[in-house]
Amino acid sequence: MRIIADYPRCEGHGLCVDQAPDVLDLDDDSELVHHYEDRDLPAELEEPARRAVDSCPVAALRLG
Amino acid sequence: MTPRDVVVVGGSTAGTTTVRELRRLGFDGRVVLVDPVDGTHRPPLSKGVLSGDDPTTARIAHDDLDAEVLRATATGLDPGRRRLRTDAGTLGYDALVVATGSHARRLVADARAGEHVLRTLEDALRLRERLASSEHVVVVGAGFLGLEAASAAVRAGARVTVVDPEPPLLRLLGAHLADVLVERCVESGIALVRSGARLLGDPVDAVLLDDATRLPADLVVTCVGDVPATQWLATAGGDAPGGLPIDAAARTAWDGVLAAGDAAAPPGPGGHRRTPYWASAAAQGRVAAATILGVPPEHDVVDPYHWTEVAGTSLKVVGPLPVDGPPDHVVEGDGPARQVVAWSGPTVAAVGLRRPLPRLRRLAADLASL
Repeated sequence: MRIIADYPRCEGHGLCVDQAPDVLDLDDDSELVHHYEDRDLPAELEEPARRAVDSCPVAALRLG
Repeated sequence: MTPRDVVVVGGSTAGTTTVRELRRLGFDGRVVLVDPVDGTHRPPLSKGVLSGDDPTTARIAHDDLDAEVLRATATGLDPGRRRLRTDAGTLGYDALVVATGSHARRLVADARAGEHVLRTLEDALRLRERLASSEHVVVVGAGFLGLEAASAAVRAGARVTVVDPEPPLLRLLGAHLADVLVERCVESGIALVRSGARLLGDPVDAVLLDDATRLPADLVVTCVGDVPATQWLATAGGDAPGGLPIDAAARTAWDGVLAAGDAAAPPGPGGHRRTPYWASAAAQGRVAAATILGVPPEHDVVDPYHWTEVAGTSLKVVGPLPVDGPPDHVVEGDGPARQVVAWSGPTVAAVGLRRPLPRLRRLAADLASL
């Protein structure tokens, strides 16, 4: 499982960071930082990743 | 007793959040989600979809939910016998969540052609198509939605007039924040008119102002609020124009029936009042799930987080609104259109600056503890 981020759509709400801090982060300029870009998530991060996708108020994240 | 049969009526933000939260909290009983169609993720409609974003991102697909999906419309509730009637048959439940949302309020009662609203994905796509070929657009209603629609119309190259009897955004935000955004609107070329509005023509092709001025329009969009979708609860006595009252645990007055989202009216300082915004819909879904399972909720039923983007300027606000007077603190920034400001409410606002919500919440918590 992967998380695919739509960077132009991200508005920096940061709710995903609360849900999956080991997968996603916001840098000092509130730009999205993706620790598993183009990489499969380890099994233990799949559930937090799902919650992160569901938490995005602008649908900038999806599972792939 | 923990329920085994949970029915969730309505599958947009509040309903699907309820389903997911039930499973996250470990519920392994039966969950039936009743909705004739997939859900709509509403924030992107007025923000992205109107301006050309891929519309599929605004769809909340039900097929990846761990629930039975019943493609049906709820037609009635018998709370005494715990039965839900739908156009596809009757369902029993141990717990039921009303998450049917709301409909756009219209100015002409007969759904006359030419009065466009912005509530569903279909509405957004129809508007988008019309925006491309409209020279003069009149938007009735100067709240978040109306000004977001006006911003998209200006971007599409139209001449735009926004009509509202109230000063734009004032009642929602308070004077300081409203002024900042209104100034941006004016700079971007949006004409703001303070007046009541009557729609003329069939199909609607003009708006009549209080002073008898007739504004001809290629496109008329009304953004004048929403009406809770509780008509199906009428025979049970639950069709209240102000929404279905809930308590701090998302329970209605009926045993085993909870409500979440735009159809629900959570308790507030001035009595029960709907909070038809994304953050509260999600919060109420989570609270409803916890209550059903007898778990103490981790959230309040009202999450005072609002955001908008008007004339290219973003606004994120955490805390009670409206806020009176100038901000008590300027946390960072250079000028009112690019600032993080705070009121001692505590209310924290990021204007024109991309700041994550967790940081704004921390600022608000710090202010509260001062």
